[in-house]
Amino acid sequence: MSIPRRALLTGATGFLGRRILRELVRGGWSVRCAVRPASDIQSLIEFFGDGWSLASRQIEILPGNLADAGFCREITDGIDCIFHAAASLTGSVSSLVSNTVVPTRTLFAVAADQKVGRAVLVSSLGVYGPQKLRCGSVLDETCPLDEFPARRDGYTYSKTLQEEVARTISADRGLPLVVIRPGVIYGDERGVLSHRIALPLGSLLLRMGGHQQVPLTYVDNCAAAIVQAGQANGIDGETVNLIDDDLPTGCDVIRRYRRSGHRLRTIGVPRWAILWLARFNEWYSRTSDDQIPAVLTRHRVNAMWKPLRYSNERARRLLDWTPRISLDEAFQRTLQSTTSSSTR
Amino acid sequence: MSHQRYRVALVGCGQIADAHLQQIRRISCAELVAVCDLEPLLARQAAERFDVPTQFTDFDQMLGEAAPDILHVTTPVHTHASLACRALQAGVHVYVEKPFAVDLAEARRIVATAQKNNRLVCLGHDQLFDPAWRQCVELVSSGTIGDVQHVDSYLAYPLQGPFGRQVLQDHNHWVRRLPGGLFQNTMSHPLYRITEFLTDESPAIQAEWFSRNIEHDLPTELRLNLRGRSVTGTLTFTSSTRPCRRVTRVFGTQGSLEVDLDTQLCRIDRGERFPGAFAKLEAPIRDVVTSLRNLARNTARFWRAEFHYFAGMYELFQRFYAAIDAGEAAPVSDRESLRVTAIMDEVFATCRQNDYLSNSADDGDDGRVVLNLIRETGELVADACRSSHSPVGRPS
Repeated sequence: MSIPRRALLTGATGFLGRRILRELVRGGWSVRCAVRPASDIQSLIEFFGDGWSLASRQIEILPGNLADAGFCREITDGIDCIFHAAASLTGSVSSLVSNTVVPTRTLFAVAADQKVGRAVLVSSLGVYGPQKLRCGSVLDETCPLDEFPARRDGYTYSKTLQEEVARTISADRGLPLVVIRPGVIYGDERGVLSHRIALPLGSLLLRMGGHQQVPLTYVDNCAAAIVQAGQANGIDGETVNLIDDDLPTGCDVIRRYRRSGHRLRTIGVPRWAILWLARFNEWYSRTSDDQIPAVLTRHRVNAMWKPLRYSNERARRLLDWTPRISLDEAFQRTLQSTTSSSTR
Repeated sequence: MSHQRYRVALVGCGQIADAHLQQIRRISCAELVAVCDLEPLLARQAAERFDVPTQFTDFDQMLGEAAPDILHVTTPVHTHASLACRALQAGVHVYVEKPFAVDLAEARRIVATAQKNNRLVCLGHDQLFDPAWRQCVELVSSGTIGDVQHVDSYLAYPLQGPFGRQVLQDHNHWVRRLPGGLFQNTMSHPLYRITEFLTDESPAIQAEWFSRNIEHDLPTELRLNLRGRSVTGTLTFTSSTRPCRRVTRVFGTQGSLEVDLDTQLCRIDRGERFPGAFAKLEAPIRDVVTSLRNLARNTARFWRAEFHYFAGMYELFQRFYAAIDAGEAAPVSDRESLRVTAIMDEVFATCRQNDYLSNSADDGDDGRVVLNLIRETGELVADACRSSHSPVGRPS
């Protein structure tokens, strides 16, 4: 595939999307951004700062609804590659499906009709089902998907369904598709303390395990790889995990936070205790008819906090990508801009 | 309690459908047989997550193939009348999520169709069956606060919650096209907590809606006064206060009750018995005693696993199914469904009228002249507003 120059980007005003946009602009792409009518364009302009006036020459912003086929026809016209990063992160399952999966189906169906050269779908590492992997195994692209994503959480369910819908359209209608599965994306506005490291309990943080690697990817590294996925040759139909090098453990992350002056009040919960808590939560939820819902289940524990190792070998090979920003530098940038209470 | 086993289906697999499916699954006499949504992905997610054996995108096909005994309608309100009537005509009992219908005419059509086909229709006034509310009603019935004189119903709405955000961001959202906009979808809850005690068919109404936030292009605050023959009521719907609460105060001739559905607390105030300065000590002591009683009651209920956000919905479903079994009237009567719909119609017409008047006044001298003329013929404007179903929003 020759290097395309006309890109459609969805989710351009989001945390990851705006970095993808910056990478695309730097790479000389002409970018059409499909945004929701209520999207905060001003914050996107502020993100580019002084560079906006120059960058905006390569950027076209079109507000509309991706679930509307007419709008999708308009935005995919003349496009070489779609970078589909738009997704809802929170809300009920039905709203996640409505806001993430339905638009993907409409957009990709139209893209297939329009003979778009490639669609890059930004999915999630969360779609894997490592429950059957042994502790210490390597989670890579050969790991099976979660058989029961509905037992995880609404976001994981919607991303799994989104991938399935995208793959079906790709297979049935011949849309060249590359699926990117980033790990936990962190960066300046978001912090690093994801649920894979700790769960907030009031002003406390419950450190979940802590000795397992956390599959982190710094947002700038992630954006660079996604852009590479749009222009690398011979990778149609491929799936690629995105994880940085030198992954830290949960304890490492908390240590780095503290060293940088952030005050964190944490309670460590060892893995055996997490599993017992999960058993108790499941039992109590069942016997109490969901008075306290089963938020901590063994299925979820073994997906989120199992000690695994992660590989980015495929991303390096297929995308000719290496994480540009080292872990130390990424943490330095992130921790400078986050407060001690930040968590997500 | 119902003895027969009922085949239950649901149409409309959005957010509230999750609560319905969860509660239906808890009822032993109910067998979930089908879900239906125009969007196949939504039907699929509901079927997968709640182990429903069949899913449909065609409503009539579902009625034919799944042959449900009971249908739950959880679609947007503008589709309620059509779906409910088709199901009733097919011999299916229907539970309709609030609000009942877009307006009184549609509501009447549903009730008439149910009566004609000898089927029950039940409106989802589920908070009337919430344990804390039932406790309040029992206390009132036992004469604890004397005769009810006034009910103050308060709802702090989470406009930045998942649903509110959708309405704010999507200028074509179906809620915006309702005659009562955001309020029509939600205000029946605080309203029926008033009409439980204010039983007049057509109470006098004063109402206005407005927005506190200049960025909101639709009204997000509503204030309502109701006056019946012996009971009055005030309703506050606000999107600007926190914490989000559903609180009702019932004032009687011998005391008052405060019910908080979120914390499941019911507090009684019967005034001080001691004179002067002693009363200032008595009041906090009584507060402590009341709090300890509430703590004991809630601890016992927690132990018995009785705290469920949709406990009222569960109770109402059970009563509805039992009513079908016994051939009795639905737990929320047809009269009540029509009465609340009629009051809401009147409230929205009044708010639109006030909106129109204040916007005319804002338009300067000409506006004020028009305003005076309109005030003289205000009733005509009210009639026009009642018959109008224009989208809610500030005139441009």
